[in-house]
Amino acid sequence: MDVTHPLATRFHRPGTRRALAVVAALAVTGLALSGCSAGEAASDDDTAKTLTVWFPGTNQTEIDLVTDTIVPAFEKETGAKVDVTYVDWADISTKLNSSFAGGTAPDVFGHGPAAAADFVANDRILDLDDYVSGLSDDDQADLAAALPGGQVGGVQYLMPLSLQGNLVMYDADAFTAAGLDPDNPPTTWEDLRAAAEKLTVRDDSGAITRSGFLTPSQAISRQQSFATFLFGNGGALVDDTGSEAAFDSTEGAEALDFFTSLYSGDDAVSANLGEDYSNAPAAQQPLVQGTAAMTVQSAQGMVQILAAAPDKDLRVMPALSFEGHDPAAFGGAGPGLMINADTKNADLSWKFIEYMLSADVSTEYTEGTGSIPVRASAADSDYAKNSPVISMFLSQTDYLVANPNVVGWTQIRDSLDKQLEQALNDVTSSQDALDQAAVEADKLLEANG
Amino acid sequence: MTATLPPAGVTLTPAGAAPPAPSPARRRRRWSRTSVFGLVFVLPAAVYIIVFQLIPVIYGLVLSFTTYSPLSRSGPEFTGVDNYTDLLGDAEFGNALLVTGRYVLQVLPITVVIALALALLVNRPFKGVGLFRSALYVPHIVSLTAVSMVWLWMYSQTGLINEVFASIGLGPQSWLLDSDSALNAVSAMRIWKALGSNMVLLLAGLQSIPKDLYEAARVDGAGRWSTFRYVTLPGLRPMLVYVVAMDIIYLAQGFAEIYVLTQGGPLASTTTVNYLIYTEAFQYNQMGSASAMAFVLFALIVGFSVLAVRGVSGRQK
Repeated sequence: MDVTHPLATRFHRPGTRRALAVVAALAVTGLALSGCSAGEAASDDDTAKTLTVWFPGTNQTEIDLVTDTIVPAFEKETGAKVDVTYVDWADISTKLNSSFAGGTAPDVFGHGPAAAADFVANDRILDLDDYVSGLSDDDQADLAAALPGGQVGGVQYLMPLSLQGNLVMYDADAFTAAGLDPDNPPTTWEDLRAAAEKLTVRDDSGAITRSGFLTPSQAISRQQSFATFLFGNGGALVDDTGSEAAFDSTEGAEALDFFTSLYSGDDAVSANLGEDYSNAPAAQQPLVQGTAAMTVQSAQGMVQILAAAPDKDLRVMPALSFEGHDPAAFGGAGPGLMINADTKNADLSWKFIEYMLSADVSTEYTEGTGSIPVRASAADSDYAKNSPVISMFLSQTDYLVANPNVVGWTQIRDSLDKQLEQALNDVTSSQDALDQAAVEADKLLEANG
Repeated sequence: MTATLPPAGVTLTPAGAAPPAPSPARRRRRWSRTSVFGLVFVLPAAVYIIVFQLIPVIYGLVLSFTTYSPLSRSGPEFTGVDNYTDLLGDAEFGNALLVTGRYVLQVLPITVVIALALALLVNRPFKGVGLFRSALYVPHIVSLTAVSMVWLWMYSQTGLINEVFASIGLGPQSWLLDSDSALNAVSAMRIWKALGSNMVLLLAGLQSIPKDLYEAARVDGAGRWSTFRYVTLPGLRPMLVYVVAMDIIYLAQGFAEIYVLTQGGPLASTTTVNYLIYTEAFQYNQMGSASAMAFVLFALIVGFSVLAVRGVSGRQK
């Protein structure tokens, strides 16, 4: 028995076939026409151009500010259309890599400075030196603190949109209660340690119920904490040429010993090694909950904490150092924008970056995101003047030191991070951990040339 | 002499003679109407499977014999079996295999046994059984990432579990921060998450066992344990095989819960092979070695699944 579905018969009717052919022809024609219109749009006139931009992060305040205010203003000024996509930080590298491999990467994209060297090594981003030299002398001077953080091998590839840094925030009332003077906070790590011992509270079993001091000790962030101690002890992560690890020095071992001592021993001043407090919601921060008296925080974190605990007297310390050394803290250039080397809209892309970095827009952007302004002149803005946190960070920009922009840094950082974890957990000594990490780092630095 | 008859439907042809060529009319008929119509229906799924599953898998296999970074403009470079031989001496990969194995071994038996007990419980009629079944199934329908976020809070220093501990006079525990307890904590979450789906599958298996068998067992004087051992378990075996095989496949590919809860730490105590593949591929752009890891994991999953399936179903003989 031959069973035929009625629909199958319909597909075989000559009329149906003709209709399908017409639909297919129309589809092909439509696609061809849309291709033509895309081609026509690619003229030199900005008014006909569409710029694709990827911003890292899904901070709603930033999204609203960029989408509703900054981009429309830029579009009005240039006549171009800007197509902005916000990509979660956790996905930005993956999506960028996929888009580069597929030839669909955006014209302009944002990322952290640590990613820039790998893009440079693979010839994926434009050298911005000519564009930067086209800025006025005043602008260049105003951006001077931020620009080096976006350079790889002395060439500008990334234009930071903000600065970043980690300083210590402390609870002034806890200081007073412990017999410390909140108006004269510690200026060295040794003093801070002594203060932390007085501020640490334990229960009957000896378990810490309030940490005297907390610094991030979870994956990746512990490398930043170590860097703060290392820089404050006169050490460096890599040598001047960027070809060899330098953190396996005496300064490095002392810095790591200090970091480890915070969490271990009977006189430990920090609880919950490895817990990620820094990314917790503001209301759950140890300073707000009263489970710590001093914590290392980013500027954005501090702004949010102050908003969450308006009744608390929370203050910010300047950058600290070990005895005999200059103050220093992990920081420097924050996330910034880069231009895809394959873009057909290089000039328009630069116009967008230039617009984002213009004095008013830059301040508006950093105020909206609660970050540290990229321009020195922003110290005179209402945003900085009205925020003790931002004004403190701006006063400390000379002491903020960034991770090195060398190819393969993320792998080196993670390798170091794993060894730091070993030392912090007393699995190995500080010097052994750093030596092991240095061997790995040197291999990676050599492999990446 | 015995003559062997051909199976019904088989056409006999003289020895050495070529089968008659189908007539043009028959050939046309073979590719018309039903066949073409069927092909049209199958085509979308077939294209989807080929384009989005088969080709990526084959491409992944090819990549495993190369070095390749998506950022690179030069494309993959053939390196032979270097990626595989490198894995032999890779301590991180060895540790990840051990962690993955331990994770599977400590979640799988507990999940299956508790799910079976729950399936037996909800297979009986009692007031509120529907609600009870639904409540047990809810964790399965929530995304693993979302569930992991909730458990992340529950395991935190000020989270629900430590609050419960505090209420009975016990001090707070560092569930996810201690290398001795982190994998156990992740496993506990995974067991809770997997119970619902396993229970429903086993319940379906229980309900497919003919009631006659239970009646016959009762007539024969079988007690509860004998009935369970000689009627329920054998009847449930096909579903048990399926549950065990699927659990091995899912657990050996554990990633989302690790990513959210521990990021592979502390001290790599929760770094599963899949998490290591993620870091290798998407943080370090080493697609070649990541693909090699993926295929080693694939081979191990297939191997252990076959062993487990044989182990569970073999006793039937």
